[in-house]
Amino acid sequence: MKINLRKDLPRWLTLLALLAFFIIAARGMETDDWVITLLRGLSVGSVTFLVASGFSLIFGLLDVLNMAHGTLFMLGAYISWTVYVRPDTFVDLLTPVLLLLSGFTLTAIWKKLANKIKQKRNWLAIVRWAGLAVGIAVLVIIFPQYPISSWDVGNYSQSPVTYSYLADQGLINLPVGLPFDGISPIVAVLGLLVSGLLIAFSLSTFDSRTQGGSKITWKDMTAFVILVALGVVTLIFNDPLTAFLTGLDTTWLFLFAIIVGVMVGVVLGIVMEATLIRPLYDRPIYQLMLTLGLSAMGIEAVRAIWGRPEFVMPKPSLFAGTGDGCPATSFADLINNQCSTILLFDSRIRVYNEIFIPLVGILVLVAIWILLQRSRLGMIIRAGVQDREMVEALGINVQRVFNTVFALGVGLAVLGGGLAAPSMGLSNTMGETLTLNALIAMAIGGLTYYPGAALGSLLVGLMQQVIIKYGAIGIPIPFTDIVFKPTPPLVPASTVLLMVIVLLILPNGLLGRKE
Amino acid sequence: MNPILDVQDIHTFIGQYHILQGVSVQVQEGSITALLGRNGAGKTTTLKSIIGLTPPVEGKVIFQGEEIQEMHSFDVASLGIGFVPEHRAIFRDLSVEENLKIAERENGDFDRKRDLIFTLFPDLERLIHLGGANLSGGQQQMLAIARALVPDNHLLLIDEPSEGLAPVLIEKMIAAIQTLSSESTIVLVEQNFLVASQLAEYYVIIEEGQSVKSGKMQDLIKDGETIHRYLGAA
Repeated sequence: MKINLRKDLPRWLTLLALLAFFIIAARGMETDDWVITLLRGLSVGSVTFLVASGFSLIFGLLDVLNMAHGTLFMLGAYISWTVYVRPDTFVDLLTPVLLLLSGFTLTAIWKKLANKIKQKRNWLAIVRWAGLAVGIAVLVIIFPQYPISSWDVGNYSQSPVTYSYLADQGLINLPVGLPFDGISPIVAVLGLLVSGLLIAFSLSTFDSRTQGGSKITWKDMTAFVILVALGVVTLIFNDPLTAFLTGLDTTWLFLFAIIVGVMVGVVLGIVMEATLIRPLYDRPIYQLMLTLGLSAMGIEAVRAIWGRPEFVMPKPSLFAGTGDGCPATSFADLINNQCSTILLFDSRIRVYNEIFIPLVGILVLVAIWILLQRSRLGMIIRAGVQDREMVEALGINVQRVFNTVFALGVGLAVLGGGLAAPSMGLSNTMGETLTLNALIAMAIGGLTYYPGAALGSLLVGLMQQVIIKYGAIGIPIPFTDIVFKPTPPLVPASTVLLMVIVLLILPNGLLGRKE
Repeated sequence: MNPILDVQDIHTFIGQYHILQGVSVQVQEGSITALLGRNGAGKTTTLKSIIGLTPPVEGKVIFQGEEIQEMHSFDVASLGIGFVPEHRAIFRDLSVEENLKIAERENGDFDRKRDLIFTLFPDLERLIHLGGANLSGGQQQMLAIARALVPDNHLLLIDEPSEGLAPVLIEKMIAAIQTLSSESTIVLVEQNFLVASQLAEYYVIIEEGQSVKSGKMQDLIKDGETIHRYLGAA
């Protein structure tokens, strides 16, 4: 990019002004205060960035303003919590989920089948809706009878809050796995399989354009066979699998929970884009309504499943040490004693919240940068942000690229949720807060430009933490005796104000370019 | 001989506007066919309907014996149809090299075609690491055509290659397209009749969304009345 000083002057001045603002803000604090404010700003910025980056990638390439993104972030937190605190529930759920999903791996076959039925057009409409109805009916009958050991939102001693607390104290005792009762395992497995196949087939027929080829090959079925086999294996080895997971050190279990969360997010993203978003590409308003609706549904679903009260996911053992030698005074100590806190510049810094999360944020930033600049997919994304049609006219399957990017974006949001669960805690409203933060960050940084999302997120995080800090120490107003203490509602308001100021000076955001 | 591309009476809507109201074009293999007509007659939409970006609602598009009018444009392109849009739609955020590499359909396409492309457009080799946004108009047009050469295409759809180019560059462009026509069949949209008449062997005139006249270019050149009637002063 050529630097044109004259044209970019407002941008440089704004950046300098922001820098000056934060330096002045820091000078008003003690050293330990501003160190911790900076680190917390980085932490909040990193979580915001994980949401905003996916948001920005999806909006840039697909032109979809995914209002459900924050809800997916929240879902990520709850899913990771489930795997982490209740591995038995996770293992119980594995089988039905794998079986239901297996049908969606046969898309290539469904398309070819639909092509054959298509010769008689009326037939396809009947087959499609009948398939969907029967598929859902079977699911509704079978699934509630499938034994899944779980918590009970209505009973405090069995609620997620209690399990979370017990897990933190190391006192958790998972209930004994439920047996099959009233339904035979074979019927359950077959029922779920059939239901998944029918639903997947019906949904895949909504794409009216034809695809080349009609021969069904074994290769089209590999993924299907693997998923079904996995589903059956996890059913047979349910107990040993649960025992293995509960026996794991919490650090490894945490890592596993995050990975599972991201995988669920990616799958959710793939299915969501292919079935719900794709038919609406020509109708952006409908898309907005759809994602808003999904967001509301997601929040209600979380309330129904995990309950309304807030709770915190226990920190993994690597970041939870409080015994001898803690808080650590050096990084060597930190690694040896696995302390939860470290003393740096006289301030007590929480390792997970204020060091680990920013590190992951930076890692993801670099990883996406490499993906965008060095890979073919990245090249296609950068090209597609500018001119989707031309990319398509080059013979690149844009649908597949859209699907991948949507899944990637959801994966990042879910990763953010999983990471935030031990620091921010889990609540029904965490998604809405993050959506707002991420949108503001994107607006500040530049809507479709990916590094803009990073800069915007950082500014949002820092701004909030600075205001929170000054809420405690107060700002002396010059020439008066008044000490102004920003109240909590000013925390989100300050970021909105920052956005308004930046947009008044630079309508395309700090790093955004004219469209 | 069967035509390589046979567009049969297609109708295309853009939004609620009925842009193409019966366009038929037959393209012989190895030839250059020019779509002629006034501004807004539907020439560009015809190209876009062939590649599937604005799919026709009626009529057929047959390419090498296969009906393609209902396919996604990425599937159409994969059959071996290259598209060079008007206004030099290259990717500004990609370097020259990336602009070429993105068009690869198989790994190594670009390396195989490297010599051909840089013989036709020597300027591009020098600019290979420059960003697309920093190219001049002529260089962007060269790049847009070069991009269509990277994969093995049987048919190239080129929209307004001479638009906004300086006369020196237009001559270069004509030479380049003539060289190309030994590699692949070409359908050309061209406002500049002088350019079109130098390049094309066949012509189709499109008027208000309908193909009204077609034939050999050498006959059209002699037919002053038709030129005047459909193409304005020439």
